[in-house]
Amino acid sequence: MMGSPRFWSWAALVAGLLYFFLPLVGMFEFSLRARRGEYSFQAYTNVLSDPQFRDTFLYSVTVALFTIVLGVLIVAPTAFWVRLKLPKLRPVIEFITLLPLVIPPIVIVFGYIRLYNTSSWLPLTGTAFGTNLLLIFGYATLALPYMYRAVDTGLRTIDVATLTEAAQSMGASWFTIITKLILPNILSAILSGAFLTFAIVIGEYVFAALLNRPAFGPYMVWMGGNKAYEPAALAVIAFGITWACMGVIQLATRLSRHNRVQR
Amino acid sequence: MTDATLADTVAPTPQTAPAPRPRRANPLPLKWLGVAPFMIFALLFLILPTIHIVLGAFQTPEGDFTLRNLQGLGVPQVVRPFMLSIKLSLLTAGLGCLIGLVIAAAVTKGGLPGWIRDAMLTFSGVASNFAGVPLAFAFIATLGRLGLITVVLKEVFGINLAATGFNLISFLGLTLTYLYFQIPLMILIITPALDGLKREWREAAEILGASGSQYWRMVALPVLWPSLLGTFALLFANSFGAVATAMALTGSSLSIVPIILFAQIRGDVLQDPHLGYAIAFGMIVITGIANLVYIVLRTRAEKWIK
Amino acid sequence: MKSTVKASGAIALAALLASTAMVQAQSMAELEAAAKAEGMLTTIALPHDWCGYGAVIEGFKAKYPEITVNELNPDAGSADELEAVRANMNNTGPQAPDVLDVGLAFGPQAQAEGLLMPYKVSTWDEIPADVKDPDGHWYGDYYGVMAFGVNTDLIDTVPTKWEDLLKSDYAASFALTGDPRASNQAILGIMSAGMSRGAEPGEESGKLGLELMAEMNKAGNFVPVAGKTGTIAQGQTPIVAAWDYNLLAWRDSLAGNPPMEIVIPEGPSLAGVYVQAISAYAPHPNAAKLWMEYLYSDEGQLGWLAGYCHPARFVAMSEAGKIPQEMLDKLPPAEGYARAVFPTVAQQEANKKVVSEQWDAVVGANVQ
Repeated sequence: MMGSPRFWSWAALVAGLLYFFLPLVGMFEFSLRARRGEYSFQAYTNVLSDPQFRDTFLYSVTVALFTIVLGVLIVAPTAFWVRLKLPKLRPVIEFITLLPLVIPPIVIVFGYIRLYNTSSWLPLTGTAFGTNLLLIFGYATLALPYMYRAVDTGLRTIDVATLTEAAQSMGASWFTIITKLILPNILSAILSGAFLTFAIVIGEYVFAALLNRPAFGPYMVWMGGNKAYEPAALAVIAFGITWACMGVIQLATRLSRHNRVQR
Repeated sequence: MTDATLADTVAPTPQTAPAPRPRRANPLPLKWLGVAPFMIFALLFLILPTIHIVLGAFQTPEGDFTLRNLQGLGVPQVVRPFMLSIKLSLLTAGLGCLIGLVIAAAVTKGGLPGWIRDAMLTFSGVASNFAGVPLAFAFIATLGRLGLITVVLKEVFGINLAATGFNLISFLGLTLTYLYFQIPLMILIITPALDGLKREWREAAEILGASGSQYWRMVALPVLWPSLLGTFALLFANSFGAVATAMALTGSSLSIVPIILFAQIRGDVLQDPHLGYAIAFGMIVITGIANLVYIVLRTRAEKWIK
Repeated sequence: MKSTVKASGAIALAALLASTAMVQAQSMAELEAAAKAEGMLTTIALPHDWCGYGAVIEGFKAKYPEITVNELNPDAGSADELEAVRANMNNTGPQAPDVLDVGLAFGPQAQAEGLLMPYKVSTWDEIPADVKDPDGHWYGDYYGVMAFGVNTDLIDTVPTKWEDLLKSDYAASFALTGDPRASNQAILGIMSAGMSRGAEPGEESGKLGLELMAEMNKAGNFVPVAGKTGTIAQGQTPIVAAWDYNLLAWRDSLAGNPPMEIVIPEGPSLAGVYVQAISAYAPHPNAAKLWMEYLYSDEGQLGWLAGYCHPARFVAMSEAGKIPQEMLDKLPPAEGYARAVFPTVAQQEANKKVVSEQWDAVVGANVQ
């Protein structure tokens, strides 16, 4: 491949890179304009010292952690069990895990509001605690496709049936099998799912706004309307977090490649 | 979980078991217990809410069956947003597909150094998740009235972007912003498909005297067609349901379907509570069809990509 | 409005206050105890930079630390607030607002729907009669006049009247503060536009105001985005029509970066009154009543004054010498208030009807 095709490749790449990097540069530059006439990190100082930033960010991080734990607890044993005992059920489970990608999140949260309000059989929105629970379950639902895909891919690379049989013949209980045998082997897959979940939850807006929870997403929107340069600083921080999450996922996947049994 | 499925999974066991082992004599229901937590979770927080909305679209406030809510979708305040959303989604999906394909092809097949491909894939992974509120801020900071590009164009090149009629708060501006996560999504999905284009096919084509464009036209594109169309459908659904970016960019004034649904949930601006159900139902139908198209075409495409 | 109060207020006031003071003092203690038992107050649509609500809420929290203040959706418009009450009629959770602060025209509407619980604060009689419901369902809290806020980094010639906004210099520059179908501030912005063309407040101002907005939209000068500090500074909406107290607070928060100029447009100056009310379905009615007592106390009223608003008891308090001079000096120049027109409830309702029903048809501004 030489000559003309190469040129067009480079041209396409450069054009693409321009489109992708200019907004990043733009938002970084804008965030430095807080002090009139000079570049400074004033906007970042303002943001990081804002108690509401800390409160909402902490809230979102806490919710994200709970969501990850819930997601792993629901997905990992299920994926393992289905692979082992109920292989015919796999397409059904996969279809269910793809549903959150088909049904728009705004419809899902609309369903929550109508179904779990105080006049229903499960009045979750009646208390702050209940609404927080609803939010965590909602986020676990949103992250379900990614978590399941990650864990399933991880399970595919280890011979679940043989490992389980070997463990059982040595007298291990189901609990021991899952915690001591399966989970460590799919750790990198779980980490991938976990960090993707984290990235999704941190910036999420629709669920938090409609359930009136003090999360980071609505805080960012509120800042966008009320402050001049801080929103750009927030965007830089959010992008940095997303990048960090993806970076860790890449690292986890690369580490797993060393451990993976080649088929 | 019908009886038929139960019978299917139960029937083969006696024939394949080599010798009776204590484990396999476990009562059947226990097997299903393993997936019970997942099923309950999916039921409570995914399936039931959706069914509630779908049913609500066909119910009066008293609970009787009616098609009135769906008929209520016919008013201009609802039809216009649907048309606008469909237009926006078609445009961003189409452009996303095209540009994503070009970049992915350049990176995988274009003879560029190998590390660029990995870097581009990593970046696409980040960019496709950089949707929503921060993305809107980034574009305002770049192409807004005081954005970097606007200012640079004015001071260095003397071009007044506002005077040309360009406004970030517009259909075009929103399209431009949406492409930021549509294109990377396309790159992520189409790269494996492009990898599936075997080198042998290209070499064979060249031996038979085909030019580069002929190869693309007659060999590559027909093979890629199901993947392309399928990803188009996926990008369409992705754009149709996106709301946070538009809200952060335009407030709630851009009349696309998710935003009017948002306003309706928050504050019944359309003065009809059950219309919200109908709008949500409309959204499910449209994204459902798009995703169905994607799945069907993906299975078709996977036949070629082994 | 001020003359009405002057004529009827002073003499009767002293006598009334003396007799009611004893009664109120008793129930105040009971009220405080009951409110603290409830432990929470849910507010809605109270941006912290609106009339200094941030400081007012902090003052309330400092005075009653046992009561958690749960703030819902600060960017909600008046119609959104009423909808929040309707949507949460059966809900006693934290999504149901206890207290409302809505435009004058929304008070009677909410009352007619039965959404409000009547209550008369202890300083009831110092509130001017023409901005409160005689039975206590809603009562005026503060007012200001409609003005333009201009980002002078982006706009070279500051507009001085509504007609100026039709000029080609202001392409894609002007915005209201919200959806004219739901936001009181936006609806009255349109009334101000109509009045600048000579209309009487009411149906006519709504009609002529919509015509001006339609022309502005056609000229490409209107941006259908809710204008706020952020959008003014970032450049999406360099010119915004809003209450002068809001514009002043926004100017302060921007602190010159970018600089903002506030102009009261020529012609009749429109004064807008907001009213407080307690939701009939309030999950915490005693906390709500305590909040009202706080707002209408000297402390609360001065809190609003610090946010550049003229509180309802302004006249009574200034006559009693309760307002520090420095606060008076920071208020917007009296000149704009000299030609202020206070539309009545009926006029505001008529205007609101025309605007919210015909906005789509006449102006049809959607981001295209």
